[in-house]
Amino acid sequence: MSLLWLKVAVVLYGIAALAVLPAALYDRPRWRHIAIPATIAAVLFHFVSLAEMLNAAHHRLPVDTHETQTLLGLLLAVSFLLIYWRYRTLSLGIFLLPICFLLGLVPAFHPSQETSAFPMIQTGWIFLHVALLLAAYAALLLSLLASLLYLVQERRLKQKSSMLPSLPPLETADQIGLKALLFGLPCMTAGLLIGSLIAQATVGPTYFRDPKILLAFAMWLVYIAMIYIRRHSGLRGRRAVYLSSFVFLVVLAVWAANEFSSVHRFTAP
Amino acid sequence: MNLVLLGINHNTAPIEVRERLAIPSTRLADATRSLLHQPGIREGLILSTCNRVELLTLQEDDETQQPQIKADLLRFLHEYFSVPPHDIQPHLYEHRDREAVRHLFRVASSLDSMVVGEPQILGQVKESYTIAREVGAVSTHLESLLQRTFTVAKKIRSETQIGSSSVSIASIAVDLAKKIFGSLAGKTVLLVGAGKMSELAARHLIQQGAASILVVNRTQSRAEKIASTFAGPAVHTEAIPFDDLYDQTPRADIVITSTGAPQKIFERSHGQLFLHARRNRPMFFIDIAVPRDVDPRVNEVEGCFVYDIDDLQQVAAANLADRSREAAAAENIVSREVDKYQERIQSRDAVPAIKALQQHAEDLRQAELARSQSKLADLTSEQREAVEALTRSLTAKLLHPQLTALRESTRPKDSE
Repeated sequence: MSLLWLKVAVVLYGIAALAVLPAALYDRPRWRHIAIPATIAAVLFHFVSLAEMLNAAHHRLPVDTHETQTLLGLLLAVSFLLIYWRYRTLSLGIFLLPICFLLGLVPAFHPSQETSAFPMIQTGWIFLHVALLLAAYAALLLSLLASLLYLVQERRLKQKSSMLPSLPPLETADQIGLKALLFGLPCMTAGLLIGSLIAQATVGPTYFRDPKILLAFAMWLVYIAMIYIRRHSGLRGRRAVYLSSFVFLVVLAVWAANEFSSVHRFTAP
Repeated sequence: MNLVLLGINHNTAPIEVRERLAIPSTRLADATRSLLHQPGIREGLILSTCNRVELLTLQEDDETQQPQIKADLLRFLHEYFSVPPHDIQPHLYEHRDREAVRHLFRVASSLDSMVVGEPQILGQVKESYTIAREVGAVSTHLESLLQRTFTVAKKIRSETQIGSSSVSIASIAVDLAKKIFGSLAGKTVLLVGAGKMSELAARHLIQQGAASILVVNRTQSRAEKIASTFAGPAVHTEAIPFDDLYDQTPRADIVITSTGAPQKIFERSHGQLFLHARRNRPMFFIDIAVPRDVDPRVNEVEGCFVYDIDDLQQVAAANLADRSREAAAAENIVSREVDKYQERIQSRDAVPAIKALQQHAEDLRQAELARSQSKLADLTSEQREAVEALTRSLTAKLLHPQLTALRESTRPKDSE
């Protein structure tokens, strides 16, 4: 049943992703009336599907790649709705809704057969660890997208172009980017801290000699440095995009390292 | 009833004629009252703006009087404004019934305005309606027409983009500032030099929430005088000596320049210094001066945005073109709404005839029953009810073809 709800959610994300294009690029209000309700409905179906999926697997956290993907998609869709509610801008949906659609597509139509091999995944702490880190990744992605929108809007204003009339104002894009980072920092800090405590209790101190774990802490430091630079030098525009992209690449590297590492996997090889 | 609309506007009459017929809002009630006292006029409304004067009247349904209607309205204009008829007549247009409805819908939706899509006209039509209603010049027919007019105008605003883009230099400056800063609440505006257009732009920015106005002029007393014109409870104003210009400019989010200086006031290096002092917070330069006050290369500095008068005019032209495209969609809505309105009016016109026919048949039925009362005296109450039902049913069946024909006759011809 969870797959059916996920399929419905994916179709709705697809509809929203298409409707958001004329709504955001050409400022067509009618399409907004399709994109927003479709996204809200998709989020509801997505949430029900995820809850049923985890319940059916007798665990409370997204264990395999598909479940993690699904949770990340849900977080991104919720963040899109929150940004729309706060700033009345649809432009981030141009990127976020297709990402939600793609993140849900494979789990919905090619469900994973992976099974859990670690009893510790039943604990709520692990769930928090995973969910908080996913929220931090989602926040970083949002920040990167907001910086890109800033760049496009800046170029549009500099070139006095009449294209893309409904991009968010520069200050709004900047605020979204910075607030996303500020939201992501405590998520990442708490996520890493909880992960470290669990690792200390289960694997022992050798865990902290793993290069990819050190990379994860390096990611945290880079994240803090990025926030410091943005806040104290008022970094905006092209340089903010470069910095966000760099941190995003570091995060992707950490994610990939965790995916391929045998130590830090909760699923059977 | 005949709906007659007579008027002049910016397309048919030069300003010299329009200004002679213009009615200030303080005299509109009196003029509407006078219009209502003209022979044959049942309801009336006067719309008077800087671009048009129109008389919308509902007249008695007397075909022999039709040629007289225009003459009467012309006489009213002549008497009320003391303008000879031959001065007005060449510029007058006249619309009747369906075309009058269409014209009113177009006017209220700003399709007939000098600047298509401008929002003020709907407010002006509403003001005329309120005054006419207060003096008792608008009742059933015009009330229904005007309510429909407001609905159509709102529908066009919401379903098309006709009014979404600005076409005046001042409002374009505000729109661009919003594209940079989002909200203008609390923003600081620096006026360098003086000029009507720059002051107008500053006023628009204040209306949108700008909190501080700094004024710089080579003559300090002139700067103080300009600053004082912006003073208000929610606005901080300050006249800054010209020598402090470069030190004080980083305080401003928006800089409007309109000096007569022959050389540039702000160079690229200034832009870099300002941005550094503002820790990269963006700055918007609106350069209305000719020759320009701001070096175009300031626009190359990341975070500085420079728009000169040509840039603003190009945006205005592009927005006007957008409005023209949207106007075509709006015209389609007007056509559909005129059809719907006419259909409703025609079916409403048939209602009295239908009711009269039904009443006449009922009277005949009652009279025939009364005439036969003595013959029916012995009937039981059930038999009486059966006779009642029988006569009612017969009357309804006999009337059916006539009522159907009446209803059919009120439908618009193209839908047949």
